[in-house]
Amino acid sequence: MNFILSSLICTPLLAALVVLLMPGYLQKPIKAVALLGTLVQMGLSLLLYVSFDGNAYADGRSGYQYVEKLNWIGLSLGSLGQFQIEYFVGVDGISVSMVLLTGIVGVIGVISSWTIQKQVKGYFLLYLLLLTSVMGCFLALDLFLFYLFFEFMLLPMYFLIGIWGGPKREYAAIKFFIYTLVGSLFILIVMIGLYTSVIDPQATARQLGLVGNGVPVPVAVILEVQQMLQDNTIATTDLVRTFSIPAMMDSANFIPDSLLHIMSDVTLWDKPIRFVAFLLLFAGFAIKVPVVPVHTWLPDAHVEAPTPISVLLAAVLLKVGGYGLVRIVYPVFPDAAAYFSVFVGGLGVLSIIYAALCALAMNDLKKLIAYSSVSHMGFVLLGLASLTTEGVNGAIYMMFSHGIISAMLFLVVGVIYDRAHNRMIVNFRGLASAMPAYTAFVVIAFFASLGLPGFSGFISELLVLLGGFRAPEATGLLPRWLTIVAVIGLLLAAAYYLWALQRMFFGKYWIFPELREQAVISDLNLREYLMLVPLAILALLFGIFPSLLLNKIGVAVTGFSELVLQNGQEQLNIVLSSIL
Amino acid sequence: MELTSLLEPLAGTSETALALVVMLLPLLSFFVLIFFGKRLPRHGDWLGISMMLLAFAVSVWLFALTWNTAMFHSRINWFSLPAFNGTFAYFTAGILLDNLAVLMLVIVTFISSLVQLFSVGYMHGDEGYSRYFAYLGLFTFSMLGIVLVDNLLLLFMFWELVGFSSYLLIGFWFKRPAAVAANKKAFLVNRVGDIGLLIGLFTLYTYFRTFDLEALRTLINSGNWAGGVFTLSYILNGQPWLVELSSLLLTLAGLGLFMGCVGKSAQFPLQVWLPDAMQGPTPVSSLIHAATMVAAGVYLLARCYAFFTIDALTVIAVVGAITALLGAVAALTQYDIKAVLAFSTTSQLGYMVMGMGTGAHDASLFHLATHAFFKAALFLNAGIIIHAMHRGLHHTHQPENIDPQDIRNMGGLRKVMPLTFYTYLLAAAALVGLPLFSGFLSKDAILAGSWAWAQTMSLNGNSFYYIVPVVGFTVVLLTAYYMGRHMWFMFFGNFRLPFNVEELRLTAKREVEHVMALPVVLLAFLSLGLVFSTNPFSFADSWLMNGISLEVLSADSRLLAESLIGAVHRQDEANHTAHIVFGVVSALLGVLGIGFAISKYRNKTREALSQEKPQSTFAKLSYNHYYLDQFYNRALVQPTLLAGRVLYRNDKWVIDSLLNNGSKALVVFSKVIKYFDTLIVDGTVWLVGALSRLFGYVGLYPQNGKIQSYFVYSLFGFILIILYIIVF
Repeated sequence: MNFILSSLICTPLLAALVVLLMPGYLQKPIKAVALLGTLVQMGLSLLLYVSFDGNAYADGRSGYQYVEKLNWIGLSLGSLGQFQIEYFVGVDGISVSMVLLTGIVGVIGVISSWTIQKQVKGYFLLYLLLLTSVMGCFLALDLFLFYLFFEFMLLPMYFLIGIWGGPKREYAAIKFFIYTLVGSLFILIVMIGLYTSVIDPQATARQLGLVGNGVPVPVAVILEVQQMLQDNTIATTDLVRTFSIPAMMDSANFIPDSLLHIMSDVTLWDKPIRFVAFLLLFAGFAIKVPVVPVHTWLPDAHVEAPTPISVLLAAVLLKVGGYGLVRIVYPVFPDAAAYFSVFVGGLGVLSIIYAALCALAMNDLKKLIAYSSVSHMGFVLLGLASLTTEGVNGAIYMMFSHGIISAMLFLVVGVIYDRAHNRMIVNFRGLASAMPAYTAFVVIAFFASLGLPGFSGFISELLVLLGGFRAPEATGLLPRWLTIVAVIGLLLAAAYYLWALQRMFFGKYWIFPELREQAVISDLNLREYLMLVPLAILALLFGIFPSLLLNKIGVAVTGFSELVLQNGQEQLNIVLSSIL
Repeated sequence: MELTSLLEPLAGTSETALALVVMLLPLLSFFVLIFFGKRLPRHGDWLGISMMLLAFAVSVWLFALTWNTAMFHSRINWFSLPAFNGTFAYFTAGILLDNLAVLMLVIVTFISSLVQLFSVGYMHGDEGYSRYFAYLGLFTFSMLGIVLVDNLLLLFMFWELVGFSSYLLIGFWFKRPAAVAANKKAFLVNRVGDIGLLIGLFTLYTYFRTFDLEALRTLINSGNWAGGVFTLSYILNGQPWLVELSSLLLTLAGLGLFMGCVGKSAQFPLQVWLPDAMQGPTPVSSLIHAATMVAAGVYLLARCYAFFTIDALTVIAVVGAITALLGAVAALTQYDIKAVLAFSTTSQLGYMVMGMGTGAHDASLFHLATHAFFKAALFLNAGIIIHAMHRGLHHTHQPENIDPQDIRNMGGLRKVMPLTFYTYLLAAAALVGLPLFSGFLSKDAILAGSWAWAQTMSLNGNSFYYIVPVVGFTVVLLTAYYMGRHMWFMFFGNFRLPFNVEELRLTAKREVEHVMALPVVLLAFLSLGLVFSTNPFSFADSWLMNGISLEVLSADSRLLAESLIGAVHRQDEANHTAHIVFGVVSALLGVLGIGFAISKYRNKTREALSQEKPQSTFAKLSYNHYYLDQFYNRALVQPTLLAGRVLYRNDKWVIDSLLNNGSKALVVFSKVIKYFDTLIVDGTVWLVGALSRLFGYVGLYPQNGKIQSYFVYSLFGFILIILYIIVF
């Protein structure tokens, strides 16, 4: 269990290496290796999930389990201090749920990729690389390492859409790439700013000789170093600068007079520099989430991507955005998080309503589901902005549950596309007569997504809305009307799903004449059952027994919100008074 | 007061375990039938029915154990969230058995069993036969969930599941476009109500930190009204909380809860889904859209009675009265046999809601029970008639476009379908509220209660409140009229289709299958007043109504509207002699209504009846349900769809075009840079090269290798040097 996290990252990488060494004509064995790799990764993630201690206290800053920390790049920069990048991975309740999700969806994706014909070797190579980088994102605790994985996701994704995608794949791929790259640039800017401002108190203590190498640093020493730092009594040559995310969450680790210190009097556009940094970082992750109005890459990317890549994109990649907000943006800049809570929550509600209305106007089933993803991700923002236990738990629950349900949704779209090579709603009617089992799964997926009790979607929406509604009382952050508007999203979700069901699946069986020649309308095959049944069971399981997830994430999530809330209110006063 | 201890798990008892079994039996039949139904003998109908009968038997047993004797409550901690400062937020789940729960349990399982039995005949030969029974199982499970759970969150969950199973059942014949339009509409309209319900729940949770009904009631009990503010304090997880709630906020929360009822119980302005829901199979209309599901809203009001303020109750009373009136008026002109019954259902539900709003809590629940039986009987009978009409049309090869549900195509059925006629007559008499029938008792109780309420409310000199009971009495007249008209069209006069009316019978000896006859007879019997009260002229003697009174259900707790409800009850008791007047008046109104209907239609010819159409503006308004559908479509649905299209265009033409033009501008800019590079930067470099080449050529030219030239150059040089020396 010591290296389980590294194994999680390396398993698909290893499988990719094997695939790389195999000749391209061995299509079946390549698929088998990919399946094996993802199965092992899923097994490991399950093992991690089961053995993870959900009751141990964690708040984002501390309490990580299965931590691995290695010095990766260390340089002495003379008067600029010490340069340090670490291979630093660990899990807490927040990331462990995402790890499990990635493990599960990774396998489903491979099964769904079984029908890929074109350049099988290249496809699975990129697929496995993608899984490596996603897993890395969820495990990394060093911002540099995180950024590395975060950026690396782009490369396989670009090619997977651009080569194996639909007719307009080049446009979609480049749109996806540029959008995300712009987001990454914002993150990069703030990352550099943070790097210039933050030190690692433990490494600095070692550098100062307060603690010997290989000995754990006592808390008292850390506090002493932090005090020395704030008193400006450490020589700049001894400051060990760091990318460590937990170190960035403690305002005591910021070098006085540095750019992003809470007492920094630097302003940009009349706002404290920390607020600007928050907004940049937020924008970077918001593109990934995605949040209206920077969401327009998502429908295009989904429509053009092949089914398994859509599944992975919706189920896992979008979560990196939300995860980044929880892991980095909020705890590093709690003051700005408190200051901008209405803005963040408002964007969440805007996404919920805006995307749901767009989904109503869609003729392409896949695009409809893509917009529904945007709408559901809005709940994550709302829950997060509330900073109540219910709201943040709901946000994480939503990410997990949406991962399961959106995978199902994109799979069912893939089923009809495989058969008819078309998925325009108007081209089909009464599919229920021809494909009863398929329609049953469509109904399950749609109702799970629109929040029918019994499915995981309900629990997440309930918790988010409950948290949002309670926020004015509990944390004083969000106005109540915001949540009331968000509740209308539930109605709109029902409207677009039921309307699609009515138009496409019910009524007399009919297919657009031009499609009839090429379409082979048959019900689900074994492979499709193999993907849909487990997902449906999971959606039910997490809908009926929420404690399966909440027992793992609850403590960490609550620790996180408490930390952000407390630090936020304390630091906000300092930040605002510093610029006067 | 200590809240934490109120939320602690309560050990299960054998009674609650049995209740859980009752609830899970239909779910089991759902799963078995949905997966294996087609492979079972007879497609598994026996399984669904036997499960349901078993559930009914256990329910009766539980009824005997609980009714007026004991209350059972079991609770577990469903999940909990760690909250700030090391505390926890608890979400519990449990089963509560009291008089109301066991009564509903018996009603739901009883009618469900009968409807399943009936369906064996009605759905015979349908290609989705096993799916149908599976759906009924899912519905019954969800409905029992609503009845049995002990907290509002779980209630909401089952509430939505009921909506879902209703969606499945309305759209059971999914090849019919009208059916799938109707089920979508039903689900969406219900969701509008659910949004309100959810917000009501959120408000309760925000201030009281629990969804548990008993805990909530205890909290309300411990609070106090002072100057329009409701104050209470409690201790949760060792931390004291002081909550001060304005009357307005509590009213809004109550109205949120009420919105759930407005959706599910088809109250104004959300009643539009119920008539459309008749697209489902008729036994489904009987079970779900008449007897059980639509009554869930009233049940919710009863369960949450403590949380409504006086203002909220006033709104509830007015909405109920409006619905009762609108439903009855719409029923006056309908020709579809099920449409009449559907509008009558909204009207009767309006009565129940009005009863709740006017403080007649027990009367309203009593009406819920009696209505469940007689309305189920009416719908099942309607099913028999529709079946018979289908049979007749089919046997005699009539054109496809003849509507078997149109009462204008019927007439004289009394002679060929006597059993149907008499059972229909009993149930209709109960609906109209004629003395000796169950509806008389319960409706009278509501009317009496509403009169007492109006008296109490108008003590401040505002007599507008009397409108509510007056509307109530008016609806009695209207109900009698439309049921009289309805019956006249179907059973009296002569058959109006061009074939022998005997064709409607199953065989010459029998008018209907036994499995369909038995449920109808049982339900018709339960429309008799004697079943519910030893004195069929006085509701005060009803064993049922006394068992579900507020004193019995929540003996030791107070309501938010305690002052009003107490006063109304005192007024009601003071009205004791007036009750006789109410009974006589409502009976007279009933007779009068029937008389009007008969006198209007008695002398009409067969042709006049079969050609009748709504003529006057009023009749058209009533026939088209006040054009509410068209109004909602124009005012809400179309604008929403338009907003969707506009926003999508915004995505395409604003955001994306901004991006695309931005990238195009970037390309243009890079082209400019490129020209700058090739012309200016590269040009400069080229210029340097060219200049050096030019100079090179200049330097190269003199070096031509001729010794004479070199001599000339050096001579010139020498002369220049001499000149320099001389000049300077």
